Amino acid sequence: MPVNEGFVPKIQVFEPHRASLPPLIPYIKEFWTRRAFATELARFSDKAEYLDSRLGKVWLVLNPLLLGLVYYLVVTIIRPGGTLPGMTRLDHLLIGLFTFYFAQNCVTAGALSITAGGRLILNQAFPRALLPFSCAIQSFQQFIPTIPVYIFVLVAGKWAYPTTIVPGWTWHFLWIPFILICAGITGFGLALVFATLNVYFRDTTKLLTYITRIWMYLSPVLWLPSSLRGNMKILLWVNPLGPVLSATSRVWVSGESLNKSTILGCILWAAAAMMIGGYFFISRERDFAIRI
Amino acid sequence: MPEELAIRIENLSITYKVSLEAKRTLKNAVMRASLKQKERTRMIEAVKGLTLDVPHGSVLGIVGSNGAGKSTLMRCIAGILSPTEGRVIVNGKISTLLALGVGFNPALSGRDNIILGGLASGLNMEEIADKTDEIAAFAALPDGFIDLPVRTYSSGMYGRLSFAVAVSMTPDILLLDEALSAGDAAFKEKSFERMRELCAEARTIVIVSHALATVTDLCDTAIWMHKGALVAKGKPQEIVDDYLKFLNVGSLPSNYEDM
Ligand SMILES: Nc1ncnc2c1ncn2[C@@H]1O[C@H](COP(=O)(O)OP(=O)(O)OP(=O)(O)O)[C@@H](O)[C@H]1O
Ligand SMILES: [Mg+2]
Repeated sequence: MPVNEGFVPKIQVFEPHRASLPPLIPYIKEFWTRRAFATELARFSDKAEYLDSRLGKVWLVLNPLLLGLVYYLVVTIIRPGGTLPGMTRLDHLLIGLFTFYFAQNCVTAGALSITAGGRLILNQAFPRALLPFSCAIQSFQQFIPTIPVYIFVLVAGKWAYPTTIVPGWTWHFLWIPFILICAGITGFGLALVFATLNVYFRDTTKLLTYITRIWMYLSPVLWLPSSLRGNMKILLWVNPLGPVLSATSRVWVSGESLNKSTILGCILWAAAAMMIGGYFFISRERDFAIRI
Repeated sequence: MPEELAIRIENLSITYKVSLEAKRTLKNAVMRASLKQKERTRMIEAVKGLTLDVPHGSVLGIVGSNGAGKSTLMRCIAGILSPTEGRVIVNGKISTLLALGVGFNPALSGRDNIILGGLASGLNMEEIADKTDEIAAFAALPDGFIDLPVRTYSSGMYGRLSFAVAVSMTPDILLLDEALSAGDAAFKEKSFERMRELCAEARTIVIVSHALATVTDLCDTAIWMHKGALVAKGKPQEIVDDYLKFLNVGSLPSNYEDM
């Protein structure tokens, strides 16, 4: 008799299921036991991507920073003066952009992960959600180094333009992990949707490049949440990242606490993205091996 | 399910629905929808009503011509595809080698790929750390290739490495699909030995191979699949002989015709 090793259920039964969820508890357990696979995959992908270019790593930080400066020029030319003193507007734009890119990378990289995982998916049975999850981890790891860049710009801006508002240390910064977790979960949930779509329609990722661009313009990154009037305020709520990015601006730039509706908005969008994405993805993942 | 069975397959059918469209894109789907056209599809019955029991400690060989549904059956046993009808019950930890070239990341070294392969199949970091050297030794790649990117490997080296990973997982059930085709004679001998060891430990092996000698050498039972159905099951030598006769004659032997 074979020895029983590990937590993997000894007896597995495979039965037909079409667009219905497999038993969720074992799925989540299996996902959890193999989480190291996702983290290592993220680490190794990073290593493989930047194996022969140190500059690549620098580029990861430089790219959003330069884009941020370009956007800053554009918005200050369109609306000279703005509503914030000194460089505060740039600070808002940069941290908003960095956070937005974190979520966007979760989505775009995750959307590709299944179709790019070809052999791996053909060869091994494992919870497929680990692949987009690994992309979310990688996106987070790429986000981290942009934080010191943000702080540097903040300090340099204050030095050059003393009217710039720079929040001192406050306990409200403890909201930052909450914001990032919500951004990551929302991005991961949306990645599940697009990864599934991409299995069925290979041009999904192409469409995604347009979607993300429009998405950014509709997000409070290039503009301030407070600049919306009347009915336009709805933009902050129908956008999955709306609450997260409003919160980002409030906490990082103003050092203020979050109000209840923003907190609720962050949580609701993260939960909705996870539930919709999770259902869409998990109910179809047994189909992936056939389609890729 | 009886204790002594490793795999039980009950009336298993697997149907692929394939699109006949040249490209499956959103653009085409929207165009079709606007013209009220339906997507052209075809159903392919890859496995039809197959029933089979595989006891623990046995080595099962599967033979059959191209497109017979062997790989499809293996994927279903591994839990990669779900059945269209019927049921598969598996008792034990499975390790698979289904599509040659584990194919994680070709830019990474063999060693890194071993780690990823192990993690994907459910080992933890410590277990893998213990096994990496063992796997590298078993694969015995020439001249330090183990630390070079996998894209620099020959297909035989690729095969060696993936086989080494698959057998090192100490699986209860090992599924091999054309796994030995790329290795050289020396490696084949070594793999046979390792598989005999696994059998001696009461582990179960299922082998798909077009190298019929592999089936007669290693297996204690064989089945012959044809167009998704089970044609015959029996002693490997007899099955292989019948199968060869069929290949030469081109029609199923008369005593199988009712199947
Ligand atoms: N991903 C897929 N999508 C649609 N049809 C498929 C797919 N994979 C296999 N098929 C079809 O299923 C049938 C069985 O294929 P399968 O790969 O299981 O055969 P096989 O016995 O492994 O053949 P071979 O000896 O060539 O490896 C074939 O008719 C094939 O066309
Ligand atoms: Mg095959």
